[in-house]
Amino acid sequence: MRHDDASARLPDLLADRDDAALLAHVRTCADCQRQLFLLGRVDRLLREHASASRPTRARRLSPHRLLAFAVTVAAAAAVVLALLLLRQAPTHDMVLRTASGQAVGRAVMSHSDARNDSLALTARGLPIDRGQVFVLWAGDSVRPPMQVGRFMVDRSGGCRVHFNLPATHTWGRFWITRPGRSAAIVAST
Amino acid sequence: MPRGASDAELLQAIAARSEIAFEELRGRYGRAVARVCRTVAGSEGEDCEQEVFARIWRKAALFDPRRGSAAAWLLTLARRTALNLSAGRHPAVPIDQEPVGGAVAPPDVDSFWLDAALERLSERERTVLELAYYSDLSESAIARRLQVPLGSVKSWKRRGLNRLATLLGEESS
Repeated sequence: MRHDDASARLPDLLADRDDAALLAHVRTCADCQRQLFLLGRVDRLLREHASASRPTRARRLSPHRLLAFAVTVAAAAAVVLALLLLRQAPTHDMVLRTASGQAVGRAVMSHSDARNDSLALTARGLPIDRGQVFVLWAGDSVRPPMQVGRFMVDRSGGCRVHFNLPATHTWGRFWITRPGRSAAIVAST
Repeated sequence: MPRGASDAELLQAIAARSEIAFEELRGRYGRAVARVCRTVAGSEGEDCEQEVFARIWRKAALFDPRRGSAAAWLLTLARRTALNLSAGRHPAVPIDQEPVGGAVAPPDVDSFWLDAALERLSERERTVLELAYYSDLSESAIARRLQVPLGSVKSWKRRGLNRLATLLGEESS
């Protein structure tokens, strides 16, 4: 995929992360990683802005529409609660620490669907003296390490990113390195 | 003064008495300032908007990009002006001091900046993003409402988001 095409389509990743060709390009393109990071911030800003302006609209609803809205919300909440109770997906919460023992992040694994597990990585204070792009790895005692993906942190070394992992087996350990320096571990579970 | 100039560059040009830069900044921040004025000054809103931009024209030279972003400086100035007007035109907050960007909360600055950044998109890009985020419409629903092909909606949405991300990158750098 050409850079121009990938760059134009980056916003698609905000909603759908299954575009393999686009993701493959982003993994190797620092410009696209930065733009994707900024797109994530824009998406969050727009959502926050939208939710902040919604209460004003809610006050304008007629009592009839408000009642209908409340019934819909209650029904949706009941369905979600029932689903949660019926198939409560187990989560696995791990802390990422540097070699000195300082906690710099959390990795929370949860079941996503029949074929995928979801990994939510939250980091704070990762060292950015050699750049803001990092690589997340996964491994266990049986298989060789697998590169989960690259991610970018902000100027405080913080980030919040999601990855999908094949649910074929249990990933027991995660660690973070710099791009091109797979032996130099920055933090590990 | 090119339309692609950053907010900080516009303020610097306004300090040098560029009317073109002033009109550009007014175009970008008009809606955001109006929202602050309506919220804080209520019925004095229109006077407030006029007063805010008059103060920007007079005080742009006080903006120091090392002390905060242009959006934060403008929001602070707008808030102080609105507070003074709402206090019955008896200044309760000193307005001759330099507004400092750090005096306002980051989420408020973000919201203020976003209002202005949306003004820099094309009409079609802005409409699609507002329908997608503020009205929670799917791309298909937006296409039906605007009576345009779905591909156009996807394209405008991508372009609008990419443009906002680029503007945010410029603001942060």
